[in-house]
Amino acid sequence: MMTRKGVSIFGYGYKKVSNLLLLLLIVVLFFVPQLAGKYPMYMAMHILILSVFALGFNLLLGYTGLLSFGQAGFYACGAYGCGKVLILIPSLLPGIISGVLFAGVTAVILGFLCIRHTRIYFAMLTLCFGMMIYSLAWKWHTMTGGDDGLVGIPRAPLEIPGIFSIDMSSLQNYYYFVLIVCLLAIGLLYRIVKSPFGLILQGIRDSESRVSFSGVSVKNYRLIAFTIGGLYAGLAGALLPPLENTVTPPLAHWTHSAEPVLATLLGGIHTFSGPVVGAFLFYVIKDVIVRFTEYWLICLGVIVLALVMGLPGGVVSIFEQKLIPWVRLRFAGRSLH
Amino acid sequence: METLAFQGLVGLSLAMYLWLIAAGLTIVFGVLGILNFAHGSLYMLGAYFAFTCYGLWGINFWLSILLSLIGVALVSLVMERFFLRFIYHLDVAYQLLLTFGFILIFDDAVKITWGGVFMIPPMPDFFSGAIPIFGRSFPVYNLFIIGAGIGVAIGLWLILERTWWGRIIRASASDREMAGAIGVNIPILFTAVFMFGAALAAFGGALSTPVRVVAPGIGATVIIQAFVVTVIGGLGNLKGAFVGAIIVGVLTAYGILLFPIFELFIIFVVMAIVLLLKPEGLFGG
Amino acid sequence: MKKMTGVLGIVLLLAFILTPPVSAADLPKVIKIGGQGVTSGAHADYGRQMIMGATLAIDEINAAGGILGSQLEMKFMDSELKPAVAVKNARYLVQEWGAHLLFGVDSSGVCMAVGPVLPELDRVQIFTHAATEKLTEDLVYKQGIKNIFRISVPVYQDSIVAAMIFKDFPEIKRWAGINCDYGYGRTSWALFKATMKKYRPDVEFVAEAWAPFWTGDFSPHLSAVMAKEPDAIFSTPWAGEAVMLLRQALLLGVFDKIQLWWQAMGGSVDALEGLSREVAKNQFQGKLWATARYIHNWPDTPENRAFIERYLKRWARYPNYSAETSYSAIYAFKAAIEKAGSLETAGLIKALEGMKISCPGGERYFRPEDHQAVYTVPAGKVMHDPAYPLPILGELRVIPAEDYYRKPPFPPVE
Repeated sequence: MMTRKGVSIFGYGYKKVSNLLLLLLIVVLFFVPQLAGKYPMYMAMHILILSVFALGFNLLLGYTGLLSFGQAGFYACGAYGCGKVLILIPSLLPGIISGVLFAGVTAVILGFLCIRHTRIYFAMLTLCFGMMIYSLAWKWHTMTGGDDGLVGIPRAPLEIPGIFSIDMSSLQNYYYFVLIVCLLAIGLLYRIVKSPFGLILQGIRDSESRVSFSGVSVKNYRLIAFTIGGLYAGLAGALLPPLENTVTPPLAHWTHSAEPVLATLLGGIHTFSGPVVGAFLFYVIKDVIVRFTEYWLICLGVIVLALVMGLPGGVVSIFEQKLIPWVRLRFAGRSLH
Repeated sequence: METLAFQGLVGLSLAMYLWLIAAGLTIVFGVLGILNFAHGSLYMLGAYFAFTCYGLWGINFWLSILLSLIGVALVSLVMERFFLRFIYHLDVAYQLLLTFGFILIFDDAVKITWGGVFMIPPMPDFFSGAIPIFGRSFPVYNLFIIGAGIGVAIGLWLILERTWWGRIIRASASDREMAGAIGVNIPILFTAVFMFGAALAAFGGALSTPVRVVAPGIGATVIIQAFVVTVIGGLGNLKGAFVGAIIVGVLTAYGILLFPIFELFIIFVVMAIVLLLKPEGLFGG
Repeated sequence: MKKMTGVLGIVLLLAFILTPPVSAADLPKVIKIGGQGVTSGAHADYGRQMIMGATLAIDEINAAGGILGSQLEMKFMDSELKPAVAVKNARYLVQEWGAHLLFGVDSSGVCMAVGPVLPELDRVQIFTHAATEKLTEDLVYKQGIKNIFRISVPVYQDSIVAAMIFKDFPEIKRWAGINCDYGYGRTSWALFKATMKKYRPDVEFVAEAWAPFWTGDFSPHLSAVMAKEPDAIFSTPWAGEAVMLLRQALLLGVFDKIQLWWQAMGGSVDALEGLSREVAKNQFQGKLWATARYIHNWPDTPENRAFIERYLKRWARYPNYSAETSYSAIYAFKAAIEKAGSLETAGLIKALEGMKISCPGGERYFRPEDHQAVYTVPAGKVMHDPAYPLPILGELRVIPAEDYYRKPPFPPVE
């Protein structure tokens, strides 16, 4: 049985094993409420949300070569959009969809202004526009509630009127909703990056001139990628209000934009799963550090330095570059091909 | 009318802090091609060092400023020599990520060293007066800041245009390889320029200590404003940074006077307008 | 078979009789108290003082035998003035660390986020600083979230007290406001204006400036406001920002032009310490008025004096109001647990509602309508007093809290 990397583990190919592990992980995720306590379930939701957030970010960085430091702006659009709708229409689906759409529209508009620029400029612009959204959220208090934010957002039921209605007031039910939505979103993004569209994005990242010589409009593709990144950030943001029941301006601050950046850096920029691994690591590291010392920023900063200097591929690269070759070496004798 | 003029003068003094930070940022970017995200943190360190010398140890004000410049220059030396240098060849994203890591480290390092509480030093006596301008009292210290900012602007212009050093810097900025080929020691030059840029930021921080809170996190606010200034003025252009700083400072001041609700938002709107009309910035390209 | 049942029955009966009765106070050996506040940045002193005040109370209680025999343990986390962080901390404290009781939080945005989570966590929180009236008027009175109690005076102190004092200054007609550009500042300014207008329809509000968090430079705000030549200024920025604002005001010669400046939380220890040099030189010309949520020199009771002495001995600093509120919160919890006999939420709520407790800051009454503690804090002029190493509030005006606290049904503010 020929495998992707010529590795064979107990007779099963590499791809089959990794698929099996993925399935196992998903099954475990479905049983988190039963296996773990309330707080780990709560953390798991945050990790899932950050995964979606970071995956959208990495579509821009890892696949298209654009570093956006303003994704939190779109996250906030998703959060505020969802929150405002939920207060008016206490039904989960309209809220989430509104948040995502609002974020998407904002991404298209701001993307148009940012896309024409080179990489450093692009990063600065996204940073500044993210802060612009922050200042708007803070100032326009008749609309956003100012620094108090939107309060009293209901954890509305998931319903299609006339067909079904699932009550979400138990955090466990909402956990399953978040899990399913995130898995679907991650799956969808996987399809996107594996498609010809994804390949073109990588081409733009690697050699912009070549791609544009072949007749492809680089700007349009970048704008589409930026919009998708914004939509995913918006989805992550929209999942938040029913969880926390409040939406406040710091969600749009650039220090929040740094979270998907850090998660992706930790997990690995060059792989699809990097941001997801990184999201998990980010929360675990922060949670662990905070129990021992209040100075978690400096620990995180040192980790960032170590990663950029020593391991630009992130944690996942340890698997790709070190672990798999080791496994291959170790089990080489067992494989018959 | 006098109110407007007075408010504009206040805005000018705000602008000078921004100019000092933006100047350092621009020089570093122009020569090294690095956008130092941690530049605001260097401003913060400058403020802390100056405060320590002046407010805690009672050293003379001017000497404190000098010591703060030296201190921050040394910190930036370590940053450049042992970290940034190794990632010049990597993608731009890594520079931003690395310098972002430094922001996190500096923020907590400052908390660990000085504690998280804000600090307020005394005002140097010779500055604590005010001068009547446009019929109202304008603080002498603000005038000093304006003077210092303009002095730095003139000084930079002189160095870059009129000295041998300046020529080398400009050459290396426009073509690094060629400059290396004709014998310029690029690594040393880069370190020196980085330290100089850091010193400018520290100068801004040190000057701000008598009038602004010294606390962790002041670097973060300032870096955003500096970015807006450079986007408006044009990345890598000193003249642009100067004009951009004045625009942002004065507009902020007028915003507070005339549109008190939208002050924070105004500079972003201006930035968006500049981007629409002239994407490379007013003096960029 | 019958014999066995019989013996078994007797053994069980004996066991039942001979085991000591399960006491009503079936408390865990260690009662865990979780606290939150801001411990970094320009407002860090408030979180730190909370820790200091609570620690003092806990050590005193533990030394005296704890609460009904159980010792107290505290864990304090930094809320970073961010609502999302505070909510996460609250969940961590209750669900992971096992906190039985909660206290703290500094800012209004944060308390509005944490409050609604408390029923889900099934815990009671005594809020010790955040001042927005919405916490008690909306969340407790209107929405019925009974888990919330506040032991510190709300924005009524910052705004209504000022109006009650300055309505009697006929020569002051033009007011300007330099306010925090978030809920606290907005509500304070609105309440102040509304109250002033009621008593003095001749008063004008000529200018206003808004400063968000992290404003470093207030000179544009000051010059904008002074352009309209006000008689007096109403100002709400607090902590380090208050000190800088006043410093910059001095530089701009503001105190030569105005007759009066009200710095709402200027009576807070960190602000007083920051201004000591200027006060010693009388640069404020006796025009600076302020209040706080507790001041160490009032009331002049043995309890307050003893508290100050113990606090100074332990921490070598004067207690800030957040220290006194946290200290008193711990004692309030003690009284509630002793009254209820357990840590059950419903029992604690019932015990706290309507409770009168004597604290260093005076007697507090947790009124049942909205769980807001009612107690009086005076206002006064910031002045130098040789008996103290820091400026104090003097020429105190004491207005009983019942006279200026808002009461149900709480008409809208703005």
